[in-house]
Amino acid sequence: MSFDIALIIDSIPKMLMGIGLTFQLLFLSLALGTALGVMLLILRISGRWYLSWPTMIYIYIFRGTPILVQIFIIYYGLPQLEFVRDGIFWPILREPFGCAIVALTLNTGAYLSEIFRGGVLGVDRGLKEAGSALGLSVTDRFIYITAPIAIRLCLPAYSNDVVSLMKSTALASTITLLDMMGIARTIVAETYAPYEVFISVMVIYLIITWAIQRTFGWIEKRMSRHVRQ
Amino acid sequence: MKKLLTLSIAAVAVVVTGFVQPAAAETLRVGMECTYAPFNFRNADGDLDGYDVDVARAVGGLIGADLEFVCQKWDGMIPALLANKFDIVVASMSITDKRLEKMDFSDTYRISVGRLVGKKNAGWKLFDSADKPIPANFKGLKVGLERATTYSDWFENELPGAEVVLYDSNEALYLDLVNGRTDMIMTNPMKAHLRFLSKEDGAGFEFVSPQVDERKYFGIGVGIGLRQGNDALKARMNKALKTLTDDGWLESYALKYFPFAIH
Repeated sequence: MSFDIALIIDSIPKMLMGIGLTFQLLFLSLALGTALGVMLLILRISGRWYLSWPTMIYIYIFRGTPILVQIFIIYYGLPQLEFVRDGIFWPILREPFGCAIVALTLNTGAYLSEIFRGGVLGVDRGLKEAGSALGLSVTDRFIYITAPIAIRLCLPAYSNDVVSLMKSTALASTITLLDMMGIARTIVAETYAPYEVFISVMVIYLIITWAIQRTFGWIEKRMSRHVRQ
Repeated sequence: MKKLLTLSIAAVAVVVTGFVQPAAAETLRVGMECTYAPFNFRNADGDLDGYDVDVARAVGGLIGADLEFVCQKWDGMIPALLANKFDIVVASMSITDKRLEKMDFSDTYRISVGRLVGKKNAGWKLFDSADKPIPANFKGLKVGLERATTYSDWFENELPGAEVVLYDSNEALYLDLVNGRTDMIMTNPMKAHLRFLSKEDGAGFEFVSPQVDERKYFGIGVGIGLRQGNDALKARMNKALKTLTDDGWLESYALKYFPFAIH
């Protein structure tokens, strides 16, 4: 097998044209997924069974099935239903981008809410008790005591999830989106050179992962600077 | 009657050549998708069937080789051939210059055309009276195509105004056309007819263009693919294909699946 260096040099700029879409998928579904995760967390720890049970079922379903299946159900499955095609969400679900965002958000939201829950459970009981001794309401205790500590606790797991979400964006290429992976697959199908092209796209993903890890490393360090001193 | 006679003589010839050969030492591994009806697919009994399969078996019989079929996804077909996963590709693969850089082809056993499918009675004015496309009228049209097919090259170069959406499978093309995500699709007319237009889902759709036959893009047709440097095998297969064409075998295979000849 000959290794075509020129092809790598030629195809990297082409694949970088899809990096914008990869980032859009990542950041938009991360923001929406984080909001969803917080909402699910609040429902989950609300202490009311009729709120927490459905949330647990939701989390179980979305963590328990492959994201590729979820993407296919949302993209190919939902439009089979007449009321979806006539419904108000059709403008979003009509577009592959909308479907990818919905799928990634629903999936990562389920994971994130569990990560957040781990953080919340990790907060020392005594601190909450101290808060209530000071006369803080449940909401105030959550916002001023539990949340800041929980966020620090779950940051490493959160950064892990960002990396895996970033990798999941490559699945958007299966529903016609031309993100980096979509472009790479098109180049492979045209040049019949899978090694060169996929290795190139792998290197780009690795660089993005490295940047994410560095960013979170910096945030973690900054957020726990009081501990060091 | 005379034709029938010719066919039966040819049939006997095929069978005889197939049997007279001493237990063929040579085994050819044949790559195909196995999911590309009516060209290569598994029938209700689970056996491989289709135009490609018929051609492959007839060629194998004529050159005296045993066949071993290997199922391979389309986008990995050429890499797999080059990696020696099989010896020949009989998968309705069009002969193009780009492909000829990497591999070799026999003579054609089917012609390559494409045809657009869209909503019925939508009043598309996409082609002029000489059956040439009118690029301006394709502007902003969402056209579904399969990734890395000759149709995508044609659109990219001849109709850059169209918004091309690339799919991984033929089924996905029809699904998204019905779902309204694309305005039209371009694919093989025989396939579109058999798998979509003749079915319930395709009821509201029809061919909205003439058969597009641009040799520059679509190639001269479909041939049997093989690795470069196998000239002896290529010559034997070409001889077999000529027999099949001249004796009306290709036509009889085509009529098994379509109401018209395809070579």
